[in-house]
Amino acid sequence: MHRITIAEDDKAIRNELSELLKNAGYDTFCITDFSDSLNQILSADSDLILLDINLPHMNGEQLLMEIRRKSDIPVIMVTSRTTEIDEVMSMSYGADDYITKPYNPTILLLRISAILKRSSKEKVCTSYHGFKLNSAKGCLSDDKTEITLTKNELIIFQQLLDKQGEIVTRDELMTALWDNEEYINDNALTVNISRLRGKLADSGIEDAIETRKKQGYILK
Amino acid sequence: MNLNDYLRDNTADIFITIIIWLSMMVFFICFHFSSDIILLLSIIYFSGSAVRITVGFFRKKKFYDELDSALENLDKKYLLSEVLEEPSFLEGQIIKNALYESGKAMNENVDSYRKCSEDFREFIEMWVHEVKLPVASLLLMSHNDGENGAKYGEQLRRIDSYIENVLYYSRSESAEKDYIIKPVLLKRAFGNVAVKNREELLQMNVSLNTENLGETVMTDGKWLEFILGQLMSNSMKYFSQEREPEIHVYTESTAESVSLHFKDNGIGISSADLPYIFDKSYTGENGRTHSRSTGMGLYIVKSLCERLGHTVSAESVCGEYTDIIITFGKNDYAKPK
Repeated sequence: MHRITIAEDDKAIRNELSELLKNAGYDTFCITDFSDSLNQILSADSDLILLDINLPHMNGEQLLMEIRRKSDIPVIMVTSRTTEIDEVMSMSYGADDYITKPYNPTILLLRISAILKRSSKEKVCTSYHGFKLNSAKGCLSDDKTEITLTKNELIIFQQLLDKQGEIVTRDELMTALWDNEEYINDNALTVNISRLRGKLADSGIEDAIETRKKQGYILK
Repeated sequence: MNLNDYLRDNTADIFITIIIWLSMMVFFICFHFSSDIILLLSIIYFSGSAVRITVGFFRKKKFYDELDSALENLDKKYLLSEVLEEPSFLEGQIIKNALYESGKAMNENVDSYRKCSEDFREFIEMWVHEVKLPVASLLLMSHNDGENGAKYGEQLRRIDSYIENVLYYSRSESAEKDYIIKPVLLKRAFGNVAVKNREELLQMNVSLNTENLGETVMTDGKWLEFILGQLMSNSMKYFSQEREPEIHVYTESTAESVSLHFKDNGIGISSADLPYIFDKSYTGENGRTHSRSTGMGLYIVKSLCERLGHTVSAESVCGEYTDIIITFGKNDYAKPK
């Protein structure tokens, strides 16, 4: 389980953020006393830090610089400052991403999981029922067959595969698609899922994607 | 200032000169002065008066001509007293002094307003950051609330977009440079806007088509996203009931510029309104008959574009489409020659 440190001085946001991350299956560590935030962050041994810029005692940008001196742990700046200058500064200090408040929670989760995937070096899950997922080629293949996937199907499949056995909501799938510049509508998502299902069935994996009414989909 | 005007202005002076001469004549004739002496005294008297008036004319002419030409050529007319040379006569000195004092007082006055508006702008910036915190926590709460939260989320996003309007209006009016120009990938800027408006777009079943957005332009990313967000929200306000809503975003590029087209198939803008849509507080027919409009959205878009050095224009056929075009210059000076 990944552990995320939340450095945010607004109590309401901190609690909701922590709840959001816990619901998404992360372990969280919240900093509540900012007089010694740097040491707390460094000793928390987490996999990612959500860092606000406007913090008491030492602001987020300073903290980020100090953190970068000692560690290359991924940092996402989460802030209500909306100028390009702030973003450029943060990125130059070594932030991995910069998200402005109020953010879309689904996007925040998507960015977190993307960064964790990049940094954790654990192998991205690419095999499924003996098939290997080749994102670059856009296909699922084993020794004999090769299933070609469209870009949309590939994004959907990757999302389902990352959370194999868990429910993935339509909202999460949509966010992932739109985040990849595929602006499809609800009907198109349904069509894409059933096509993906069909392609998997053709290759002998029947009922791979299960629909949970009003919740989402599960890849078995 | 010409001589005629000056003489007319000094009629009283000339009149008195003649009266005095006439009374002297009466006096001279009564005492039987010889005509030679009368002639001589008259010549001396008149040439003296003529010299007095002429010298007075040229002294003033120099000052007032300078004043006129300065007034005509000065870009900032309130700096008049700064460019005038010190006049040689008292009136001129008094005028110059008065101009200087009144200019200074006006400057102080303007300055206090400038400071006021700067303070207000700073307060707005700060306020916006503050108010975003509760909005952010409410959005998280509504998300954590699951199914029920969705409708709250929608309203919160509306609040957020109104807050952004205030922020960017204050930014667009300010003289301060709080943007940075750097290469921005149009695809990314548009993507962020699309994702932000996803829920509403999906609810209205809008099909979003993009084409050639791989272009990179020189602009401020945040400002551009706000501009595109405004265009998006306008399109969503004015869709036609008669057909499936569509937004088509594409670029056309020439050697000098890249034009970003933001085209929807909404109700369009009547040709009578079209020239004025970027004017402040202009609502037009659509603003009255359809969704309530403040007439500020496109005005802010235009001022932001102007400050960033882009041009914005609109094409529309009433009842068919609206196409807003933002043109970014390709910056030649950044390229090595």
